[in-house]
Amino acid sequence: MHVTNTSFSNNFLYEIQQLESQQSTLQKQSTTGLKVTLPEDDPSVMNQVLNLQTEAGANTQYQSNITQIQDSATTASDALNSLQTLVEQAGEIATDANGVTSSTQLSTYATQAGQLIQQALQIANTKDANGNYIFAGTDTGAAPFAAATDSSGNVTAVTYSGNTSTAKSEIASGLTVTAQIPGENTTGSGAEGLFADSRTGADIFSHLIALQQDLTSGNTSAISSTDGPNLTTDEDHVVTQISGNAVLQSTLEAAGNVASQNATSIDTQMSDATSADMATTLTQLSQTETTYEAALESGSLVMQTSLVNFLE
Amino acid sequence: MLGLFGTLDVAARSLSVQQEEMALAGQNVSNANNTAYADEQLEVSEATPVDTPFGEEGTGAQITGITDTRDALLDSQIQAEASTSGSLSAQQTNLQNAEAYLDEQVTSSSSSTADDSPNGLAADLSNLFDSFQSLSNDPGDLSLRQTAVQSAQQVATQFNQVSTQLSTVQADLNTSVQNDVASSNQDLSSIASLNKEIVAAQAGGGSADQLVDQREETLENLAGLANFSTTTQANGAVDVSLGGVTMVSGGSVTDQLQTYTDSSGNQQVQAQNAGTPLTLTGGSIEGEITARDGALARLQSGLNTLASQLITQVNTVYSAGYDLNGNTGQDLFTGSAASDIGVNSNVANDPTQFQAAGAASSAGDNTVVLALAQLGGQKIAGLSKQTFSASYAQTVSDLGDAISSVNDQLSNSQAVTQMLATQRASTSGVSTDTEMTNLIQYQKAYEASAELVSTLNQMMQTVVSMKSS
Repeated sequence: MHVTNTSFSNNFLYEIQQLESQQSTLQKQSTTGLKVTLPEDDPSVMNQVLNLQTEAGANTQYQSNITQIQDSATTASDALNSLQTLVEQAGEIATDANGVTSSTQLSTYATQAGQLIQQALQIANTKDANGNYIFAGTDTGAAPFAAATDSSGNVTAVTYSGNTSTAKSEIASGLTVTAQIPGENTTGSGAEGLFADSRTGADIFSHLIALQQDLTSGNTSAISSTDGPNLTTDEDHVVTQISGNAVLQSTLEAAGNVASQNATSIDTQMSDATSADMATTLTQLSQTETTYEAALESGSLVMQTSLVNFLE
Repeated sequence: MLGLFGTLDVAARSLSVQQEEMALAGQNVSNANNTAYADEQLEVSEATPVDTPFGEEGTGAQITGITDTRDALLDSQIQAEASTSGSLSAQQTNLQNAEAYLDEQVTSSSSSTADDSPNGLAADLSNLFDSFQSLSNDPGDLSLRQTAVQSAQQVATQFNQVSTQLSTVQADLNTSVQNDVASSNQDLSSIASLNKEIVAAQAGGGSADQLVDQREETLENLAGLANFSTTTQANGAVDVSLGGVTMVSGGSVTDQLQTYTDSSGNQQVQAQNAGTPLTLTGGSIEGEITARDGALARLQSGLNTLASQLITQVNTVYSAGYDLNGNTGQDLFTGSAASDIGVNSNVANDPTQFQAAGAASSAGDNTVVLALAQLGGQKIAGLSKQTFSASYAQTVSDLGDAISSVNDQLSNSQAVTQMLATQRASTSGVSTDTEMTNLIQYQKAYEASAELVSTLNQMMQTVVSMKSS
């Protein structure tokens, strides 16, 4: 081929530019550690990366949801355990009062029952770390249970102002759970109420009040025939709620494990999709550099040479 | 027999031929770095011989013309490739601008840190649904409500910004089409007037090489703007037609390019006199139109569909909700497309008005905000059964595909251009080494011819002195 002045320099420049562009790409890959930075570099990887980032964001959110519900579940669990102890104590009072005829003794029991009602009220109006009432259904802004008292300060009735709904949170795609338990549910549908539920017959406040009133009036037969069995029903109901809470906690733990595995797997996928293979990149870079230097060296030698130099 | 005077004549002609050769070598060397220049060579032939008793006898050399080493096929291939490159470069530049405005970059190979840094819409969408999730955990919390509203505002702002910037790219493309059409028309009229001069010069039997070089340069410039086909006439003029319409015929411009505004407000190209829309298949004008009506338009419509689906889907769920004051029925998002999406100013000013609850006066009811959060993972029918995020990722990677394909084609086209340029340089280019070698040849031949003159001179003096002595 006939080599002319422009053909040589044209070709030389083109080759040098190709090498420079390769160098710059490899250099960028080795400094960032990424083989893809812009959508045009690899559109399908970019698509994958954006989806993985969304997935990672959602997964982090699930983890944070799980932590929050775990907190609520722990708060609820503490309250449930206290409530169980309380109902159990009331049951013991009912058992102990059986056959007691001493009015002094009965009135001591009545006072104890009164204290238990006050404690139960405290539990019923438990707030979580965010200041929300946890046994109010979704009406979490106001204290759900209010007591009416007689002239001697005894509670005569407890009214529930919350509702029977619960607020669920998502802990995995499509999986929603709640640590909330409505305070009462007498509608016969939806989540079971904690203090009263028409399906299980539990009605803790009424039964405690009845116990106290029967103790005060010395109606021991009613205590053994009605109040004792009622309180047993209540305790069974609370135990069911406690085991429900335990199931929830283990679900949350499992979901937490899945979420942290997901986080690792998303990270791995992300890294697989975007990380440059450093060994290959650096080897290629050093090859390109060598070629580039050789090209410059030989180019500058050839370009300086001309017949003109040798003519006198 | 030529005789002494005849031979002196031969020597004189020889001197002038060598001088002319020298001059041409000088012309070639001075244009050694001019890529549009075609190496020129002197055509020298034997002068008309005379009959002598001994047979035909030569009368030296004579110049019959100057030819350039232009290869018309190679030239037309270079023009065609210039159109391809022109189209692809125009697409590349403008689509890369659009890509930059989307601001979707991989900044880290780790998903956890990557979550903090991206600025694009993908991160904003993800944050929006995450903030709904957070709010669903504690729907009465004012700061979480504030965060949710801010996330919604961020999504809206990002949509608005990208939409505005893409409109700027579109407007720039329209301006470029107008500018390129103006440049093309200038080239067309230059070609016509060069045709006229070339025909005139060649009609007088002269050489028009320089004019032909100039015309070739102009044709290649025009090829970068719009692809055309040429017909070379017998008289040396080149007729140019664009998109099937003859624009230059001999020395006159018969038609010109003209822009017109189409129904969607974009600049299109038509033939001015013929009045017909032109379909160009190469050159930067075509590249600008292709980028604008192709990848850029798809990007814009993808974003608009995404925005309008987001507005509709979110509002449908949201408007059924109740705020902390027991009010319902408001929308979260206003507007209908990427350019005008916004957040309802009522809720923006007062986060208690965020309708998170499914029923009035239940601060802890999160039915609606949970449904909003779950929208993020839902496949939306209006987005080809993709989630919002997946649909956006698809839109981004579609643009990436378009640019990546243009990049590959452009790199191929550049390699072809390079190859053709090398071939042309090889056939038509000037080699200084060749010219220097020629110079030595011409110099020696000139010296020899001069020697002939001086010898003849001596011989003539001898003849003259024969008589006087």
